[in-house]
Amino acid sequence: MPDPDKSTRKKILVVDDETNIRLLYKEELEDDGYEVSLAQDAEEARGRIEQFKPDLVTLDIKMPGMDGLQFLKEIKETHKELPVILCSAHGSYKQDFRVWSSDAYVVKSADLRELKLMIREILGF
Amino acid sequence: MEKPTEAGLRILSEVGRISNSTLELDAILNQTITIIKDNLQFDACALYLVDGEGETQRLKLKASSGLPQARASKVYLPWGKGITGWVAQNKIPQALSEAIQDPRFVYFPEIEEERYQSMLSVPMTYQGDCIGVINVHSIANRFFTPVEITLLKTISEQITGCIRNGMEYAKSKALLREQTLLYEISQAVAAEPHLENRLHLLLTGISLAEGHGIHRAILFLLDDQQTQFKGVMGVGPDSLQEAQSTWAQWVDPNEEKVSKLLLHESFKDLKNTRFHQTAQELEFPFIKKQNVLSDALVGDSPVIVENAAVNARVPKELPQKLGVDEFILVPLMAHDIPFGVILIDNLYNETGIRETDLKLFVRLANQASWVIENSRLFNKLLESNRELLTTKEQLVQSEKLAALGELSAEVAHEIKNPLVSIGGFARRLQEKMHALTLRQEPKPDLTPLTHYAKIIANEVERLEVLLKSILVFPKGARPVLKLCHLPKLIGQVLDCFEMELRSASIRTRLDFKEDPSPIALDEEQIKQVLINVIFNAIESMRQGGVLEVATFTRQPEGHSSQAVIQVQDTGGGIAQEAFQNIFNPFFTTKDSGTGLGLSISRRIMENHGGEIRVHNNVNEGVTVQLVLPLQIDRVSNKT
Repeated sequence: MPDPDKSTRKKILVVDDETNIRLLYKEELEDDGYEVSLAQDAEEARGRIEQFKPDLVTLDIKMPGMDGLQFLKEIKETHKELPVILCSAHGSYKQDFRVWSSDAYVVKSADLRELKLMIREILGF
Repeated sequence: MEKPTEAGLRILSEVGRISNSTLELDAILNQTITIIKDNLQFDACALYLVDGEGETQRLKLKASSGLPQARASKVYLPWGKGITGWVAQNKIPQALSEAIQDPRFVYFPEIEEERYQSMLSVPMTYQGDCIGVINVHSIANRFFTPVEITLLKTISEQITGCIRNGMEYAKSKALLREQTLLYEISQAVAAEPHLENRLHLLLTGISLAEGHGIHRAILFLLDDQQTQFKGVMGVGPDSLQEAQSTWAQWVDPNEEKVSKLLLHESFKDLKNTRFHQTAQELEFPFIKKQNVLSDALVGDSPVIVENAAVNARVPKELPQKLGVDEFILVPLMAHDIPFGVILIDNLYNETGIRETDLKLFVRLANQASWVIENSRLFNKLLESNRELLTTKEQLVQSEKLAALGELSAEVAHEIKNPLVSIGGFARRLQEKMHALTLRQEPKPDLTPLTHYAKIIANEVERLEVLLKSILVFPKGARPVLKLCHLPKLIGQVLDCFEMELRSASIRTRLDFKEDPSPIALDEEQIKQVLINVIFNAIESMRQGGVLEVATFTRQPEGHSSQAVIQVQDTGGGIAQEAFQNIFNPFFTTKDSGTGLGLSISRRIMENHGGEIRVHNNVNEGVTVQLVLPLQIDRVSNKT
C-alpha cells in the first residue's frame, strides 16, 4: 500500500467532465492512499498540472472544449515525463494512433480494478 | 386459208377485244391461245414468256393447248437452246415441216415435242427485246403457208402490247400486295409485345411475301454461347392442300388480307404444326466455313442453295428433313451481333427459288433482327434495373446500419458514463457497509442493504456487457482471422443450446463429411452469427423438429471456392411479409428480441468477405447458408 505520509503520497490528477465519475475516482483512489486532485476540462487541468504537480494523470477522451486526445498531445509536449492514462467509455479509440502516445488505455467501468492496476504499474508499486 | 384478209381482220378485232376486256395476264394468254385455236387449225399451241434476266434468263410455259396437261404447270426451256430457245434468242420466226430433223432440235421430255412432226415458232418482241415465243405444232408432217406465218406473226405483234400491259399490271399488283403485306406486318408486330409472337408474325410474312405462293420459313437462333444454330420456329403449311387453301385465302381480293392470317389464334396453332416440330429438331454448329448457315451469317449476306443434296456445305439433315433441294438462307444480325439465320424454301411453291424476290425476304429478316435486338436490349434494361433496385436496397440497408451505428455509439457513450458512476458507487456502498458490519458494536443489520447494493452493482455489470456487444456492431470490428475447425466451433455453439434443444425435443443432425476446415475466420464473430442463426431455428421449432447443420465446399462458376455452413430447420418457414424484413435492423417477431441478430450476422459475414443466404420454404422450414471465402493462402501468410 502507498505511504500514508502526505509528503510521500503519490499525486494523481483526474480529468473528466462527469462530476460523479470525478467523485468516484477521487474517493476510490484516496482510499488507496493517493492524493487526488480534479479537473473538469483541459483548461482547468492545465493549471492543476502546474500547481498540483501530479505524478500521473487520468484523462477522459470525450470532453467539451479540447478533447482528451488533443490535450494528451499538449501534455506530452510540455511535460514529457508525466504519465497519462486515457479513460474512455468505449474501446473504439484504441484504433486511433494518437492514443499510442499515452501510457495506458482503460475502458471505463464501474469496476475500477483495471485502472488501479495500471496506476500501480506505472507508478511502480 | 383462202381468205387471209378476212381472217386477218377477225384476228385484229379479237385481239382488240382482249386489250379492252382484261388486264389479267393469265386471261390475256388464255384468250390468245383461244384466238389461235379458233382461227388456225393446229394440234397444239404453246405460249412461253421470258423469265428472269441475264444469266438466269429462260422461257417459261405460260399457256398451252394440246400439250400434256399434268406437267404443263412448271415447264422451263433454256435460253438459246432448242428451236424455241433459238427463236427467242434470234427473234426470227421458224417454220419447220420436219422439226425433229432440224439440227437445233433438242428433246425436252416435259413437252413431248417429239410427238409433233411440224412446228411454227414466232417470237414476241417489244422495243427490240424478245418477251416470249408462240409455238404451234402439228402431229402430221405439213407445210406452213406464208399466210399462216404472217397470221401468227400478226397475232404475236398485236398481243405483245396486251401482254406488256398485263405484265406491268401484274407487277404493280404484286408491288401493292407487297406494300400491304409489309404495312400490315409492321402494324401487327408493333401491336404485339411478345418476342415469340413477333417473330412468328415476321415468319408468316416471309412465307407469304413473294407473289407466287406459300414458302416455308425456319428461324434458327444462335445459343447463348454462340456456337450452335438451333431451330426455334418453323412457319409453313404441312401439306399441299393446306398450302393451297392458305394461298387462296391470301390472294382472294375479297378476303381481309394478311390481318386474318396474322390473328392471335395462329400463334397457338404453330406449336402443333408438324413443320414447327421438325424445325425444332434441327441443330447445326456455328463454325466459320463449316456449313452454309455459318456462311450466310459470317458473310452477312443471303445465300441461295441449289442442289442441296450434293452440296458438301449443306448438312445432310436439311434436305432430308425438309424434302427440298433448294432454299435461301438470310442472316439475322443487328449492331454487328449475329443472332441466327432464316431458312426459306419453296416446297409448296410453283416458282424456282432463284427467281424469288430476295429483297423482300431480306427486309423482313432485317425487321426480325431488330425485333430480336430490341428484345435483347429491353431485357438488358430490365436486368440493369433489377440490379439497380437491389443496389438501392443494399444502400438503404447500409444507410440504416450506418445511422444505427452512429445512434448506438452516441447512446452507448451517454449511457456508459452514468453507468460507471452508478456501478462504482454501488460497489463502494457495498464495501463500506460490509466494513461497517464488521466494525460497529452493537451491530446494525446491514446485510440486506449490502445485498441491495450488490444487486445494483450486478445489474450495472450486466448492462455494461450488453453495451459492449452493441458497440461491436456499428464499428464493424474488422474480423481477426485465425484458422479454425468448423465442427468444433459448431459443437461449442450447440453446447450452449443444449437445454433449449432438449426441452423443445429438437433432434440435431450433423454432417461434416465434406468439411473444408481449417478455414480462416474470426471465431468470436462467427460464433455470434451461429448463435443468432441457431437461436432463430430453435425458436421456430418450439414444438419439436430437426435441426441440421452441415459444412461443405462449393465452387460457384467464375468464383473461387467457398466454405458453406448450412443450418436447416423444420420450423415451417417465415411468413412472406416478415421474410422481406428479416435483415432490417430492429425488425423482430419475438417478444424479447432486439431485431439486431440477423442484421449483425449479415454485417459480420460481409466483413469476412462472405455472405448470409436465407432460403425460406413456407410451411417447411428455413435454410440458412453462411458462405465464407476459402482464402487460406492469404491468412496463413499473415499468421
